[in-house]
Amino acid sequence: MVIFYCLINRITMLLLELHKHQKLAAKRHPMFDKNKFGKYSMYFMALFWMGYLLFIGIMLGIIIPDANPAMEGYHTFNKGIIFLLAIDFLLRFPLQTSPVQEMKVYLLFPIGKKKLIHFLLFKNLLSPYNLLWMFLLVPFSLAVITRLHGVSGILLYLIGWWLLFLANNYFYTFCRTLIKEHILFILLPILTYAALITLFFTTDQFSYCCMNLGESFILGNPLGYLSVLAVIALFWWLNRVVIEKVMYKELSKVEDTKVKHLSEYKFLDHFGEIGEYMRLELKMIFRNKSCRNLFMLAIAVMIMMELMLLTPTYDGPIGKDFVCTYNFIIFGAMFLSRLMGYEGNYIDGLMSRKESIYTLLRAKYYLYSIITLLPLFAMLAMVIHGEITLLKVLSSYFIGIGLTYFLFFQLAIYNTKTVPLNTTIMGKQSMNNGFQSLISIAAITLPILLSILLRYIVGDTIGQIIILLIGFTFVAFSHLWIRNIYHRFMKRRYENMEGFRNSK
Amino acid sequence: MITIEHLKKTYGEKVALDIEQYTVQEGDLLGLVGNNGAGKTTLFRLLLDLLRPDNGSASIDNTDVSMSEEWKKTTGAYIDDSFLIDYLTPEEYFYFVGKMYNLTKEEIDERLVHYEQFMHNEIIGQKKYIRNFSAGNKQKIGIIAAMLHEPKLLILDEPFNFLDPSSQSAIKHLLKEYNERTHATILVSSHNLNHTAEISKHIVLLEDGKIIRDIDNAQQTAEKELEDYFEIRKISPESVDTLENKL
Repeated sequence: MVIFYCLINRITMLLLELHKHQKLAAKRHPMFDKNKFGKYSMYFMALFWMGYLLFIGIMLGIIIPDANPAMEGYHTFNKGIIFLLAIDFLLRFPLQTSPVQEMKVYLLFPIGKKKLIHFLLFKNLLSPYNLLWMFLLVPFSLAVITRLHGVSGILLYLIGWWLLFLANNYFYTFCRTLIKEHILFILLPILTYAALITLFFTTDQFSYCCMNLGESFILGNPLGYLSVLAVIALFWWLNRVVIEKVMYKELSKVEDTKVKHLSEYKFLDHFGEIGEYMRLELKMIFRNKSCRNLFMLAIAVMIMMELMLLTPTYDGPIGKDFVCTYNFIIFGAMFLSRLMGYEGNYIDGLMSRKESIYTLLRAKYYLYSIITLLPLFAMLAMVIHGEITLLKVLSSYFIGIGLTYFLFFQLAIYNTKTVPLNTTIMGKQSMNNGFQSLISIAAITLPILLSILLRYIVGDTIGQIIILLIGFTFVAFSHLWIRNIYHRFMKRRYENMEGFRNSK
Repeated sequence: MITIEHLKKTYGEKVALDIEQYTVQEGDLLGLVGNNGAGKTTLFRLLLDLLRPDNGSASIDNTDVSMSEEWKKTTGAYIDDSFLIDYLTPEEYFYFVGKMYNLTKEEIDERLVHYEQFMHNEIIGQKKYIRNFSAGNKQKIGIIAAMLHEPKLLILDEPFNFLDPSSQSAIKHLLKEYNERTHATILVSSHNLNHTAEISKHIVLLEDGKIIRDIDNAQQTAEKELEDYFEIRKISPESVDTLENKL
């Protein structure tokens, strides 16, 4: 009994200590004070989503029984369990970090590695995110379950759902750890959910199975809970195994000690100093894990965007605006929003050489404008297929590398946080200040708003010509605005260098 | 060559550097010594315009370093690994740095021959990114990159750190030879009194951000003075006895 008490006491202490460290890490982050905008907008968004989920829950409680009176409301709802789990899984990406990211600092302490992994997985279980959907489920179950099963039915139902979200949580942790190791693992959740959703549409058995699971929760049938607990236990075990493996890999860092093939990009020799910086950028993208993964992700999103054009959902002009615009800014959004952040790793070396930042900015502009030709060529296939006009493609390209890149390049002045080049599983949290967030939002939304507005005022064709001209003007005068950005960067250089050093 | 006027840098309450006036003559090989937190690295960062001074200025060849970038063409520096682009191989990094100073690959290769002994066959042709080299070899890469364009002013922070004894000896010879051959001004900080005294023409002792001694080492007499200074800070066995008796 005493041993058990001591053990529980130790686990609690460790959990509290880890929790305290996590809070301190956020509070003492160099960007914390600069991030008031982000903080308040986050609180606002949280309140908004809580209210929104409550509203949806109430509405579902009213609509579902009316829509299908032949069946209990909760039965209809439970049939679609898989959709709620898919949305939940998707939302975890921006909202939830992997527990393995916290591990490194604790590895030298006298705590067993396995024990540490278990602690972190347990802590993950207590994440408030796992309770988010209760804002939807509580009003819904109050409306549809109370009549037949009373309060106990509601409680049992909510516990069942909580367990389902926990299972999803550990599946997400498992996938996220693997994705950090290789981007192709993103196929694991995509294929899993795609297979389950296909089952939903192709067989009735699957949806009935989901319905029965939901009912077993309400009735307090232990089989229902045990089946979900078994899934949780399976993913807990898988997570432990995977985390332990990647943790050692991360610590030993033996991946590229001997490089087999060194890319030289010799064609860039003809472009002097700018060519040298373009070569540096290419090497940065392809020799560093986080940049390489980002590039692959950009390619994947680009292909997805192209395919979206073939679906009827994006048949209208706004849908085409959306796909075209984002297709051309995807590389910019991924790399240029972090402008100078990667260079923060060797900022002193750059700053001790004359005008190297100016040349670097120009090289980056030319290189990303060239890389943006990839979606342009891919889009030409859609032009031939008749999905979109050539004018639309050209105007989207030029507004992308013109106005949007102009806006993204402003971030070179305001980004003051070093972005790790090779962080894999022990990543750092990214944090922007309000102004950076505003620039990013403007860069992403302005072109699409401009397109919609011009179509409304002057019609589609003239609107696209105007957009093309605006984009082209920004491109033609790029040397001027890059020079201006360089001068403004130099005025803020001490502040920026301090920020890069502090966040390294 | 270097003029410092009322240069001051504070971090909150702590004064990291406070130098009223100091001049480094062209062709000097100046050693900078002092305990941890004395202000050596802060001084170097201020000289390289990597930090904003709270007051005063530092000038290289009569140009305030914060007002122009011209001095960067003729200055070479290595302070720490934030100078290194670690996803390049050493060769790529040398060529990259060379390009910044309009040096061709052939010229770089030619100049690298001079550093062969210092590199000890552990740097060139390894097919490894800089990030995978040991701390000592990274230090060597940084030092060589700072010297490749034969700068008129060379600033090295703790160049003996992480180096094995034979590399420490090699860098000493390299710096002395470079100073004699090119008449470049060299500023070197170090905790190693022997090495600093052996190569420096002048030695400046920094303490709490202030220059407390400026020692002429033309006759190689600074080491004794420095040792005496740092010995004062040690508690001798006699002092311990006296303290115990008092207690």
